[in-house]
Amino acid sequence: MTAVTPPSAVEPVTRLIDQPRVDKYAVAARDPNPIHRETPEAYAGPFGRPVAHGMLVLALVSEAMTNAFGEAWERGGSLKVRWRQPALVPIEVTARAVLKSEHDGVATYDVSCEDASGEALLTGTASVHLA
Amino acid sequence: MTSPTRIAFDTLSRGDVLPPVDLTISADDVRAYLDATGEPADRWGEHVPPVMMSALMLATLLSQIEIPKGVMHTGQEHESMRPVRIGEPLTVTVLVASHAVRRGALMASFDAEARAGDEVVAVSRASVLVPPPDDAASTDPSSAGSAE
Repeated sequence: MTAVTPPSAVEPVTRLIDQPRVDKYAVAARDPNPIHRETPEAYAGPFGRPVAHGMLVLALVSEAMTNAFGEAWERGGSLKVRWRQPALVPIEVTARAVLKSEHDGVATYDVSCEDASGEALLTGTASVHLA
Repeated sequence: MTSPTRIAFDTLSRGDVLPPVDLTISADDVRAYLDATGEPADRWGEHVPPVMMSALMLATLLSQIEIPKGVMHTGQEHESMRPVRIGEPLTVTVLVASHAVRRGALMASFDAEARAGDEVVAVSRASVLVPPPDDAASTDPSSAGSAE
């Protein structure tokens, strides 16, 4: 489905990111960094336990934008984000996108991923060309 | 995608261009990715999810350089020019967009470009921070972002 009039907010996506999911992601995304898995490096690292891949958290934003905009998100969609806190596994993450502006057929959303207590893990913007 | 000899991270300089890497994303690759992220697979029968493209463009970087201990992925940008078809042969090239030491921490960004022939289909930028060796175990995660 392609939205011509951008919604004021897209439907949030919430998902549990647990260790099995992270382990599968490490293989699928070809990221072997041991800090994401149950390894001595993860437990000796700055966070004291495994941390989910930032790109796995970001994937929820893209899923929410795909749900709202379909192929328009694939054709000219863009993202710019910064990670604010590590996603310590297991964690329930909710991705949100709230309309920030609409100019010349481009809708820009403030996007975020939050943990279950509402703490921001990731913030940024996502833009999509409206058909 | 694995390169036989990895480049030392601290020998990189702004403007360096890493050797191009061939990338073809199969239907099995996409299924495995969606199984991991939890996104419903039914809509991705023909195309590659945009953030999967970004992740695999980042993976081309990971395959070519030695990843320093304690490195943190602090930011990511991505733009899709058009949908990427499953099985479409691509070439990914990574440019060192910035590489500088500030207060002992190494901050770098990498621009990746995916092409299908001469056509650019996606671009991305990954920003990373490598804390000073003595600080690697005490980095404040709230100020540096999540580790990758």
